[in-house]
Amino acid sequence: MNIVVCVKHAVDESELKADSAGKPQLQGALSKMSNFDRNAVEEAVKLKESRTGTVTVVSLGSGDWKKSIKEALAMGCDRAIAVNSGSALDALSTSYYLSRAVRRSGPVDLVVFSEGSSDTYQGLVAPMTAEWLKLPFLGYVRKLEVGDGRIRCELALEEGERVAEASLPAAISVVSEINSPRYPTLLQVMQASKKPMEEVSLDSLRDEEAPRGGVSVAEVQVVSVSRKRILFEGTPEESSRMLVDALKKEGLV
Amino acid sequence: MGLFQPEHQNALRAIYGDAQSTYAGVLESLAVFLEEKVVPRSAALDAGGPGIGEVRRMLFDQGLCRMPFEAPGGMSLPFGIYSLAMELAGSADAATAMSMGVHCAVAEGINRFGGESLKESFFEDLISGRKLAAFALTEPSSGSDARSMSTRAVRTGSGYVINGSKMFITNAGEADVYFVFAKTEKGHAAFLVDRSTPGLSTGEDLAKLGMRGSRTAEVRFEDCAIPAERLVGEDGKGFEYAKVMLNGSRIIMGSICVGIARAAYGKALAYGLQRNLFGQRLADLPLTREKIANMRTEITSGRMLCLYASRLREMGLDYASEAAQAKVFSTEMAARVCDHVIQVFAGYGYTDSDIHRHWRDARLLTIGEGTSEVLRLLIAGREVAGSR
Repeated sequence: MNIVVCVKHAVDESELKADSAGKPQLQGALSKMSNFDRNAVEEAVKLKESRTGTVTVVSLGSGDWKKSIKEALAMGCDRAIAVNSGSALDALSTSYYLSRAVRRSGPVDLVVFSEGSSDTYQGLVAPMTAEWLKLPFLGYVRKLEVGDGRIRCELALEEGERVAEASLPAAISVVSEINSPRYPTLLQVMQASKKPMEEVSLDSLRDEEAPRGGVSVAEVQVVSVSRKRILFEGTPEESSRMLVDALKKEGLV
Repeated sequence: MGLFQPEHQNALRAIYGDAQSTYAGVLESLAVFLEEKVVPRSAALDAGGPGIGEVRRMLFDQGLCRMPFEAPGGMSLPFGIYSLAMELAGSADAATAMSMGVHCAVAEGINRFGGESLKESFFEDLISGRKLAAFALTEPSSGSDARSMSTRAVRTGSGYVINGSKMFITNAGEADVYFVFAKTEKGHAAFLVDRSTPGLSTGEDLAKLGMRGSRTAEVRFEDCAIPAERLVGEDGKGFEYAKVMLNGSRIIMGSICVGIARAAYGKALAYGLQRNLFGQRLADLPLTREKIANMRTEITSGRMLCLYASRLREMGLDYASEAAQAKVFSTEMAARVCDHVIQVFAGYGYTDSDIHRHWRDARLLTIGEGTSEVLRLLIAGREVAGSR
């Protein structure tokens, strides 16, 4: 079974700093593999380990994005395609180039994504890539079974749980509850740098279907939510009554 | 805040040049593991929780103790990378880092001085963590003056019989093997003694100011008969072995203290940026800024001394004085920095164990593995001898 897993080198939101005006400092911000993508890699590697096959990790990015690729290789992926984007692309272009990189990887049975990236969390790239590849797409997978050329998934959707099936090849996005990502040993981290990694440019992937134009991000701002900070003092009975009165006054109950 | 910061990346760039990217990947991966698996357990360990065995197990499985040793078995990483790894471990949980640092020093002793049979029997078990080791040199009445030890090993037909007592032994009570130094007819010798050897017993765990996650106790030997194969290296050279093992271990204890200081400083800086008083952030007050500048400078200095001593070791040069300098400075620096951190947090620093435990942890290491005083004697002794 040939599996491709797509990962994003995302801004490390836990390290993001804001300037004195509260604006996030994206320039020079630290980055790491999107947290949710560790679940995608884990699921791809688990699937490979339960049958024969290979896992190819594909990542589109720039700067130090190969760090995330090496992490995926350390976790058990066999080879990598590193798409050098030069700068950030919007979801449509990202999905287009990822689809071309997936095709370049050879025959594929399953393309695995996470539900969204831990920095922007748009959740667009996975279904868009599936569409470029003309593959059936099952999103928000929390459990899966593969057999007889088909994939059967439990989907964790907002409206509740659903079960869906698709024939292979297919594309899926997984939610973080599907597994607990493994921690590669330090030796596996060292050995990862010896695994094959092909670096490709956008030019080498582009064809006549390439999207034109796109969305550019003009500015990122922090949305601040102010709280009323009302404190109720008194016995539990008194303060709970005051809380109910205040909620009624706000029209919330 | 993540444990692996740009300052670590820059230290790697400055010292290891082009090779730094592989090393950075290893250390970043370790840092993520420590943040997610060790840091959340650290407060419970400090509170006397019993979980150090499990935390150590996870770090052994990661390969922490394999880092500085040659393949096969080891990862053939430079000692400085191991020292930075122990800094990160010290930031995550100092007691676990110290316990493993002592254990790895014993693994080095077996690898370096043990005969083929001892190496074959124990080295892989030690670096994989299947067996836990303790280093037994200090005695109730001889710490810094280790040469005057009173533990005796008497030669018999088939081996040795050890009598005596060792004090303040890290990992005592849970270690599978003890690396024991004793006086013999030929001077000093080192032995690897099984926990199960008749005559070996350990005392009650000592109540400590800090490093509470690790166990420390007395180890007693009463007519403890061991076979000759358990002699490490040559009879008469034990004290030389101890000095070599302590040189590396001193860098590691210094590195752990750099990690302790870095963890405490990170908390103080974050607090200073969010605490407001007199209409401004605490971090903007001039006296706080002086503390921030001093702490930052001292942490960098400690790290660089540890890496400098490590590089000398990697290059096969004499590094005994530099290792001592790294330990004296880094351990005393960590106590100073952690004291400043308590001051920044003020009443909260004095009452919150998540703040004051860093100072309590650091305080031990100006004593263990050579007190600051005895290490100053070593450093000054070499200076004076060199000036003649």
